[in-house]
Amino acid sequence: MNTKLYAVIYVVLFVFATLQVAVEFAGLTYWTAFWLIMALSAIKAVLVAAYFQHLRYEPRAITYVVAIGVVAAIALTAAASYSITGT
Amino acid sequence: MSSIKRWFVTTNHKDVGILYLVTSLFFLIFGGLLALLIRVQLLQPGGTILADAAYNQTVSAHGLLMVFWFLSPLAFGFANYVVPLQIGAKDLAFPRLNALSYWLYLFSGLLLGISFFQGGTFSGGWTMYAPLNVPIYMPSIGATTTVLALLMFTASVTVGGVNFLTTIHRMRAPGLTLRRMPLFTWTILLTVWMMLFAFAALLAALMILSSDRIFGTVYFAATDSGGSVLWAHLFWFFGHPEVYIVFFPALGVMAEIFQTFTGRRIVGRKWFIASMVLVAIQSFMVWMHHMFLTSINLPVKTLFMATTIGISLPFDLMVFALIYTTIKGKIRFKTPFLFAFGALVLFILGGITGVFLGAVVLDYEFRGTYWVVAHFHYVMVGGVTGLVGGIYYWYPKITGKMYDEFLGKVHFALYFVGFNLVYFPMFLAWETPRRVFDYPEAFTPWHQLATVGAFVLGASFLVMFYNLYASLVTGEDAAPDPWRYVTTAEWAVPSPPPLENYPGRPSYDGGALQFLEEAGPRPSGIAAADGGAGTRTDGGVAATADGALAGGHDHEESHASIWPFGLSLAGFFLLVGLSGVNTGGTAYVALTVAGFALGAYTLVGMARESQTFHGPSGPFGESWPFAKVENMKLGMWFFLASDVVLFGAFIGSYVFIRVAFGWGAWEPVPHDPVPGLMNTYILLTSSFAVVMAMVAAQKGSRNGVVASLLVTILLGIGFLGNKGIEWLELFHEGLWLSTNVQTSTFFLTTGLHAAHVIVGLFIALYMLVRAWGGAYLDDDKPVEYFGLYWHFVDIVWLFLFPLFYIL
Amino acid sequence: MLITADGNHHTGEPMNTGVAVQSVVQIGDLIPRGTRMNVFQSIYWVFIALGTLVGVVVVGYMVYNAYRYREGGSHAEDGDDERPTLGEIPTGGGKGRKLFLSFGLSAVVVISLIVWTYGTLLYVESPVAAQESDQEELEIQVVGRQFSWEFVYPNGHSSFELVVPEDTRVRLVVTSDDVFHNFGIPSLRAKTDAIPGQTTETWFIADQPGEYQAHCYELCGAGHSGMNANVVVMQQSAYDEWYANTSGGGGNTSDTSGNASENGTRTTSEALTA
Repeated sequence: MNTKLYAVIYVVLFVFATLQVAVEFAGLTYWTAFWLIMALSAIKAVLVAAYFQHLRYEPRAITYVVAIGVVAAIALTAAASYSITGT
Repeated sequence: MSSIKRWFVTTNHKDVGILYLVTSLFFLIFGGLLALLIRVQLLQPGGTILADAAYNQTVSAHGLLMVFWFLSPLAFGFANYVVPLQIGAKDLAFPRLNALSYWLYLFSGLLLGISFFQGGTFSGGWTMYAPLNVPIYMPSIGATTTVLALLMFTASVTVGGVNFLTTIHRMRAPGLTLRRMPLFTWTILLTVWMMLFAFAALLAALMILSSDRIFGTVYFAATDSGGSVLWAHLFWFFGHPEVYIVFFPALGVMAEIFQTFTGRRIVGRKWFIASMVLVAIQSFMVWMHHMFLTSINLPVKTLFMATTIGISLPFDLMVFALIYTTIKGKIRFKTPFLFAFGALVLFILGGITGVFLGAVVLDYEFRGTYWVVAHFHYVMVGGVTGLVGGIYYWYPKITGKMYDEFLGKVHFALYFVGFNLVYFPMFLAWETPRRVFDYPEAFTPWHQLATVGAFVLGASFLVMFYNLYASLVTGEDAAPDPWRYVTTAEWAVPSPPPLENYPGRPSYDGGALQFLEEAGPRPSGIAAADGGAGTRTDGGVAATADGALAGGHDHEESHASIWPFGLSLAGFFLLVGLSGVNTGGTAYVALTVAGFALGAYTLVGMARESQTFHGPSGPFGESWPFAKVENMKLGMWFFLASDVVLFGAFIGSYVFIRVAFGWGAWEPVPHDPVPGLMNTYILLTSSFAVVMAMVAAQKGSRNGVVASLLVTILLGIGFLGNKGIEWLELFHEGLWLSTNVQTSTFFLTTGLHAAHVIVGLFIALYMLVRAWGGAYLDDDKPVEYFGLYWHFVDIVWLFLFPLFYIL
Repeated sequence: MLITADGNHHTGEPMNTGVAVQSVVQIGDLIPRGTRMNVFQSIYWVFIALGTLVGVVVVGYMVYNAYRYREGGSHAEDGDDERPTLGEIPTGGGKGRKLFLSFGLSAVVVISLIVWTYGTLLYVESPVAAQESDQEELEIQVVGRQFSWEFVYPNGHSSFELVVPEDTRVRLVVTSDDVFHNFGIPSLRAKTDAIPGQTTETWFIADQPGEYQAHCYELCGAGHSGMNANVVVMQQSAYDEWYANTSGGGGNTSDTSGNASENGTRTTSEALTA
């Protein structure tokens, strides 16, 4: 872990944030843009967690703890939203 | 220290445990009296003791008090007292946070009490269905206070959960691996795991509801966008795990008592544990079985029917394991065993009637009837039965006195008869609609029988209170092990245990519990709560944590803290004030301000105290799977994991409402993504600045730390300023929190995030002052841990930005 | 088989009595069908019988063991060579096989019970295909508000009393004007949530003329305890007469127009199921 690595990650994050807005104006269909933008957010989040919060260098168990929270939140969102769609 | 003052400043796990136990029994009386009122009202169809609204308030407060303020806290009284003893720890990982949990709990209960005098307490049932829970249908200030009381209770649970998770995972005696942990500790471990995530969802629901009630957002009033169903999802996502959160500790108590009084080890121990783990996981996948009659679609119904049946099966195994444990036993029918045995019988009946509810076609008809009331009382009060067994089981350990065995048996007889007399007739009169006092004439005899039973059940507790009180004075002195065939460590120490718990370092490394000689004072500071520059030299305090044997009163003094009490009192004022801040007049506004000020003062006081106050320090024995993570860091991560679910539930609510509204028809509230993009840049840069602060601290550069923290703070202020300008512009356009469901979700979700930024800024400011004085140079952990929080806030924004600005 | 039949009828084909009868013959003995009362009764009593049996056996076995191995009893020394000791590392006792046998047995009972009722759930969820009489169905809108129920008929007639003909499948489309309610007619086993901003459906067939009561089953405010409605089940002819005289149906028409509006109902519901 050194300053240079942190700086590189910071630049990547900066660029990705800009890309997200660029995607909006790129003329893609809504859902293509949607998943692209969410994917960029997810990548940024993983970078921050892995390096700035140095999860990469912690015991994997901590990552799992956080991952359980993420999975729970996604399960709630997905199942609840799906339940009100007509099928 | 005077004996009264001691209870206000204590942070010792055994003291806090006793506080929890006594307080929870107080709330049992409170909730129990309300139950008797209900039963009196039901003596005749259309009873007149209580008016309509008063009856609804009684029913609601009874449910809330029993589920939240009695059941779990009773269990956590035992958890506080027993778990550290069972795992060989001197105290919980964060003793002051433990005291804070307790005081938040007590004051939240007082808040609920106050709500009765503010135009009536909440009257929409403990499930608080929307939109009855919003002010247009329930305008009383007391209803708001109830919601805030629950919010405060949730804060208490979250703090406590983080504490227990860290303690149980990190601080077990050498040789006490997870597999070897006593069953009661296992149940508490799984309970706090469920709590961590379930209560975060409840916290989100309650925050949104508070905002609907105080700031006028329209989440739950937005019924055209699924607002009503949204509440049900959020509530039951919490609510079903809550059933097991309440029941698991009772199961643990039953398992301990069964093993002791049968003189047998539990049959199929590892399968028993595996079943509980399975239930804990599955509990988050069954919530929609409470919503079978809502508009959810058939595939979802089928899925949740399957998961519901799935979750009942592990319980079969646990029940059979307990039953088979009695075989070849030498069973002594002492009071604890009678209660544990009775609890199992009641739980079996509750379980069988629960299978009825798993059949969706039957569930349709049972919905909203006394079948449900009877079923969950058999399960939940069945759990209470086990916990009452726990009261008798650990009473000698906690007080050092034996209770009166005869009175204990009288209690059980009255209890068991009363219990079945009150709840079984409810099955027979199951067609009575729930929370209705005007029932068909034909059911009158059953309801009268139930009322008689309720009074018998109530009277049985008078016997218990008398017994417990009188035995304090007249009871025989209890031996360290008054039972025989116990195995767990709390029985290996005197009754009551000394302050330092053990006569040496407990260890299981030799294949059984033994107390090793205390090692000499080790270098302290490994677990320093907030190790400043001075920590290492002021060894006096830190050493007592280790060399506690010689401690006595000094030890207690050094672990005294008034701040948990002060902070909770501040929270109490703040929330009373908030309850009527927009409708109740200036007194409420003044209380809000006073509570806020006191809160800030106590927080600073507590933070300053951190430099001299240290929790138990390692090295500990078994810490799987977090051996290489220090307590404070692990606690921070547990907290962040629950915060993930909090924000997840907020984002989930937004997605749900937007799906119900029509995803494509929804326009982002800000017209322009550029201010949001600017703020993304700002937050990313501030995160980088925090990283630089840590690097500077590691390099020992005071100026570097100060400069980096200063940059972080300035960027944070910039973020808020930018957001403020953006919000003001929207306000000028007439877009307010209450304008519509789009603006509600936008302002509240990004507002919650902004509140996180503000909290972060206050911490950063405090650290800046300390960094100026040269702190953090030889211990950069506080900077690192602050960074974990700050980066998390950054990550949240990475999702809020696209969801609320672009898409 | 049932599902296939369902699928056919979801396409909106006219009712085919032949298919319906056939499927009754094939699965009727196993999966309860018919009115909601029939369905509920048959499942409920099977559950009660099995539940009681299991409860008595399990609790009886518990008590038997507790007595047999009581301290001072003749079997109390059976396990004396392996009593737990203070400070030992927690381990489990034996008898894993017995444990799994009982567990497996209970799992089989529970799962088969639920799977069995699932067939009925499918029937209850979309009963059109399996309808046993060739009566047309009647659709009525139900609106809950604090603290009354309003019933709106296909002809626009609205009242606070639910009047329906006997032996006809009545489909209720339920919603709420204010807070969360739940509409239920216990004697006819019809129940569904009344949610503001959403509609839910339920249905029933009343096979006995008479008066019934509907209640609210979700706490909805101060008047919740009294939020009831009368349900009147009439013979078909009486109902036709009543319906013809309702305001929306137009007082100027004769008996036959009553039938006509029922046909109209039929069309609406077909459109809904399609």
